[in-house]
Amino acid sequence: MAWAQQARNDLLRIVRINEEIKAIVGVAFKINIMALNAIFLAKRAGTAARGFGVLSHELRVFSQDLRDSMVGLTRLIHACVSEVSHVLQDIRQTRLLHQAVESSRDRRLVEVLAERESRNAEHAQHLIVLRKQLKRALDDAFQLVELGGMLAKSAKIEAAYGQSFAASLAQVSGEFDGVVEEIRTSLEALRRSAFFTGR
Amino acid sequence: MKTTKTIFQDGNHKWVAIVRDPDRPDFLIDTNEYLVTHGSQGLLLDPGGAEIFPAVFSALSSEFDPLALIGVFASHQDPDTCSSLALWLEFNPKMRCYVSWMWAGFIPHFGGSAETFVSIPDEGADIPLDGLTLRAVPAHYLHSSGNFHLYDKAARMLFSGDVGAALLPAGESGLFVEDFDAHIRHAEGFHRRWMGSNEAKRAWCERVSKLEIDMLCPQHGAIYQGADVQRFINWFDELQVGLCGG
Ligand SMILES: [Fe+2]
Ligand SMILES: [Fe+2]
Repeated sequence: MAWAQQARNDLLRIVRINEEIKAIVGVAFKINIMALNAIFLAKRAGTAARGFGVLSHELRVFSQDLRDSMVGLTRLIHACVSEVSHVLQDIRQTRLLHQAVESSRDRRLVEVLAERESRNAEHAQHLIVLRKQLKRALDDAFQLVELGGMLAKSAKIEAAYGQSFAASLAQVSGEFDGVVEEIRTSLEALRRSAFFTGR
Repeated sequence: MKTTKTIFQDGNHKWVAIVRDPDRPDFLIDTNEYLVTHGSQGLLLDPGGAEIFPAVFSALSSEFDPLALIGVFASHQDPDTCSSLALWLEFNPKMRCYVSWMWAGFIPHFGGSAETFVSIPDEGADIPLDGLTLRAVPAHYLHSSGNFHLYDKAARMLFSGDVGAALLPAGESGLFVEDFDAHIRHAEGFHRRWMGSNEAKRAWCERVSKLEIDMLCPQHGAIYQGADVQRFINWFDELQVGLCGG
């Protein structure tokens, strides 16, 4: 029974994680456009924004890394959903086989149940591995986003040297920083999801 | 656990009805499963839903070696007929599922692999059972659009799926129809609403009238025997079906 409750909770939690990642993927797409915008702006500002220009290229690389990382996370989440679904199905089949073993005199059913249970254990084990992989991928994504946050903050500082472009550079880097911060907060919450702690 | 009742026997040629589960929760429709055995093999007709697998399995295994089942016959695709398939296959992966070609791609959602399914063409087919030949008789649109009954000529038995089904009130649990007029009241609403085509019904009545049938065995309710078989066919022939109150 506890097993079934755990699987139902897991499914709810992984679905919530998936929704959150979908939102981040949308934002990551926006970041890419913002980075392109920053590069364009730095070009127009010329020598006055050389430092900003270098950073905006870094931000573009970051936005691509972020998207790759989201693709990886999405793939892992789908694998988790599929494995949790298997576990839920296992639970039903096992319950029915258990009932059959209890009410039947056919002892061969005990072997069938044992086989079923070893397959359940495989599914459970696979889910443990996936859970760890997803946690690691989320941690990696978080580190990446922290790096992005540092880039955005540096860009904010560099923007001050942009002379007549300072205001627009500050705006772009400020927006960038805001969005990265948003993602950072989301990922931080996801890393603490009960899907990983089991509580 | 369900009870088993042998309703036909000639040596090792048997029809066993697996019926009336006292532990079945009320929200599940009650079903009858039938086991046909001949020689060393058995075929299970409409094995039932997943939730009643334990009850059917234990009743069946008290009577017959479930490893000797060559397969199941699914009259149609409803969950009450065969959603237990995955569990039967866990026990015996070699089992086959005989079913209308129409559902051969749908029922695998209940379980089974490409090898599991034996498609029955619209005109019906013979199903061999250790020297005995059973016949899948077309009953399309009654109620499913791809629907078969199973006729055993040697035993003069017809498994009629949802045709002849009655939703019996609590307390009326006799295995055989005792009082046709009283019984048929519990079948009328079901047939009017579930059966979709008057033409198909007419054709079926004509088809089965030509068969020699001692017992007409539905998937729900009680079994018609003797004169009640023809009485049922005549009643059904006259009933207007495909009617919805709404
Ligand atoms: Fe049905
Ligand atoms: Fe039915």
